[in-house]
Amino acid sequence: MANMEITVALSGNPNSGKTTIFNNLTGLRQHVGNYPGVTVEKKTGMVDYKGYRINIVDLPGIYSITAYSLEEIVTRNFIINEKPNAVIDVVDSSNLERNLYLATQLIELEVPLILAFNMTDIVKKSGKKIDVELLSELLGVSIVEMVGSRGLGSKELLEAVISVVKSKKEKKVELKYGEEVENEISRIISVLKEQKALTYNFDTRWIAVKLLEQDREIIDIIKKTSGPKYSKIDEIVRSSINHITSILRDPPEVIIADARYGFIKGALLEAYKETGSEKLDRSEKIDRILTNRILGIPIFAIIIWLMFQFVFSLGKYPASWLELGFEKLSILVTNVVPQGLLRSLLVDGIISGVGGVITFTPNIMLLFFAIAVLEDSGYMARAAFVMDRVMHKIGLHGKSFIPLVIGFGCTVPAYMGSRILENRKDRLVTMHINTFMSCGARLPVYILFAGAFFPAAAGNVIFSIYFIGIIVAVIMAKILRATRFKGESDPFVMELPAYRIPTLKGIMIHTWERAWMYIKKAGTIILAITILMWILFTFPMIGNNYSQSYTGKIKEIEQSYQYGEITDPEHRREITAVEAEMAGERLAYSAAGRIGRFLEPVFKPLGFDWKMVVATISGVAAKEVIVSTMSTLYSIQGTGEESDSLKVALNEHYTPLVGYNFMLFTLLYFPCMAAMVMFRKEAGTKEMLFQIGYTLLLAWVVSFLVFQIGGIFIK
Amino acid sequence: MRRFGLRRGRGGEKREHFVGKDFYSMAEAVPGKKYKIVKIDGGCRLNSRLCAMGFIPGEGFYVSGASLGGPLCIMIKGTKFAIGRGMAERIHVKEA
Repeated sequence: MANMEITVALSGNPNSGKTTIFNNLTGLRQHVGNYPGVTVEKKTGMVDYKGYRINIVDLPGIYSITAYSLEEIVTRNFIINEKPNAVIDVVDSSNLERNLYLATQLIELEVPLILAFNMTDIVKKSGKKIDVELLSELLGVSIVEMVGSRGLGSKELLEAVISVVKSKKEKKVELKYGEEVENEISRIISVLKEQKALTYNFDTRWIAVKLLEQDREIIDIIKKTSGPKYSKIDEIVRSSINHITSILRDPPEVIIADARYGFIKGALLEAYKETGSEKLDRSEKIDRILTNRILGIPIFAIIIWLMFQFVFSLGKYPASWLELGFEKLSILVTNVVPQGLLRSLLVDGIISGVGGVITFTPNIMLLFFAIAVLEDSGYMARAAFVMDRVMHKIGLHGKSFIPLVIGFGCTVPAYMGSRILENRKDRLVTMHINTFMSCGARLPVYILFAGAFFPAAAGNVIFSIYFIGIIVAVIMAKILRATRFKGESDPFVMELPAYRIPTLKGIMIHTWERAWMYIKKAGTIILAITILMWILFTFPMIGNNYSQSYTGKIKEIEQSYQYGEITDPEHRREITAVEAEMAGERLAYSAAGRIGRFLEPVFKPLGFDWKMVVATISGVAAKEVIVSTMSTLYSIQGTGEESDSLKVALNEHYTPLVGYNFMLFTLLYFPCMAAMVMFRKEAGTKEMLFQIGYTLLLAWVVSFLVFQIGGIFIK
Repeated sequence: MRRFGLRRGRGGEKREHFVGKDFYSMAEAVPGKKYKIVKIDGGCRLNSRLCAMGFIPGEGFYVSGASLGGPLCIMIKGTKFAIGRGMAERIHVKEA
């Protein structure tokens, strides 16, 4: 029997537990993508139930479907244009009145609707009672009771979906907005009909209501479809708005909202019993401490510090196991594949390049684990609240803080996370400075260089780089705010959800998603870049164009060893030195070497040689590639532990000042190509080019100053 | 001028200005009292947004906390919101 395919949209307020229900329904059969043209994340999942293949689309969490934010527009367009077979609205049952507001708007849209009353356990515990059957009748929609955190109710929800899809019931309940508003609605409907300004996608009454609410997007659509006739429509709408405002003393959007709440209240009055008095609940008690005006910021600092420790101290163990694994793999390949170009590509190119990147997966996973815990527990919103004043001082929004923290993990999701800022200027400034929040991919560079030049104080040195990044971000935010992005930042309103114990499943799915994104990046773009780098480093081949006869030199060394003139370690050291020289010449001869040499004069004032230039260029692909490029550049064949030998090589070639300066440069210039692709998607080509240009310039200027001034004190 | 002085002032003195006053802004509301929203003074976009979150004329609320000079914590319709001072100043309230 062929499965019948249906599409179900999952909507709901933020913090209604929507994601948990989505995870319960689909398990790991999820796919994360983007809505076309915008960077709002689109999650889809699948579940087979009773002969139906149900595609579930997880819509963004929103409070209403006006055109206030990108998320709201995306949701509305999906429901209107894609016409899902059913829409599930996840409702926090412990907060029915506000949560049902979105439901009223979905009822207005006349979609086949199912309300998923989530967290019914909390309602029962607090002694309240919902008469679901009665409420369902009053609202004219099916209601399913659920406890998402314990996985209860999923089956019943699917059952309700199927029965709604099957029944295709006609319109049930119509919301009325009071006599005055209704009169104006009829007036607008008649003018719309008269002017034939309707589009097949929308219901006329709905359009009339939206025009009264002055919904920008709908106005634009009507403008387009009605052409010159729009002025007539606009005239009527404006007179209606003025009429309502003068009589009812509030603008139509407020009156209409009031009517929706009235409708909800009316229904709840009959179907909802509130017993017991309001007491100071647990969340309130926790907030007294966590958002305390004095303790708030220190507590926040401690939590972020703990998160760092968790990610980096704990992460280094699995990272070292992975490193060991890749080392063994490269030995295995060396033994199996005969010497030649293929072995070189596999061992020097792919395994060392991709392996080096995969090694950091544990850190990425732990970071996203920590972020998911902070988010799901409800603390992230408090952090934004606590930080708002500080962020305001540098011209940012309290919410900017969240993408900035994510930026410490990976700049790509951080750019995506900037969408929580509704105001374009806030968003752009946040994005433009996000690159200075050192992402996880830059950490390997720091670990390598700090380990090579400051082995005793590596931790402190790395911390200083992170810290400098924050300072630069603050300064740049101020500068950008005062120049390119002048103007007020958006008013700040944000829900502080009740504290909850996060579910392990939700956190694991979230963590896995991010880790998988990272691994995919390693398997695709970084693999491609690694191969490209290998080609650049290998061709054109030097052949017999060495400046001197190295083979003769090696023979001499071998001979003197055989005659007992030098000891075994001496012999080995000399051979290695000669081979390194050869490698150096080979690289200088290759395309990469030539590019590096060509650009060397530009970077000379920063203390960089052409190898560092080549590494920096490779870092455009992805910053962690800098490490693999450096290891290719200094490849010393088959002796000892890879990164250690690289550290030794670095130490031989550069002063600590140059090493530190290189870390600074790596910190400051724009993040990887993937991030830039995301930036372009989010903010357009112009902003992306600005980002690339200004960060390069800044990186150069800062490194120049540090090297020149530092050179005076350190010789 | 007066407003500026007020915002600078610390807790106690700030409140004295409003003794006997019927309406003031949400930014001037203090913890421990119950209030009602009278009017929202925003554009239609902001109005719609606030209404959807439950900030609607006639609705009662109380202040459950405030960061120093930063946003306020408002408990309204059973949900806690952080709301910036700038926005709070556009919401007219009275004591319930």
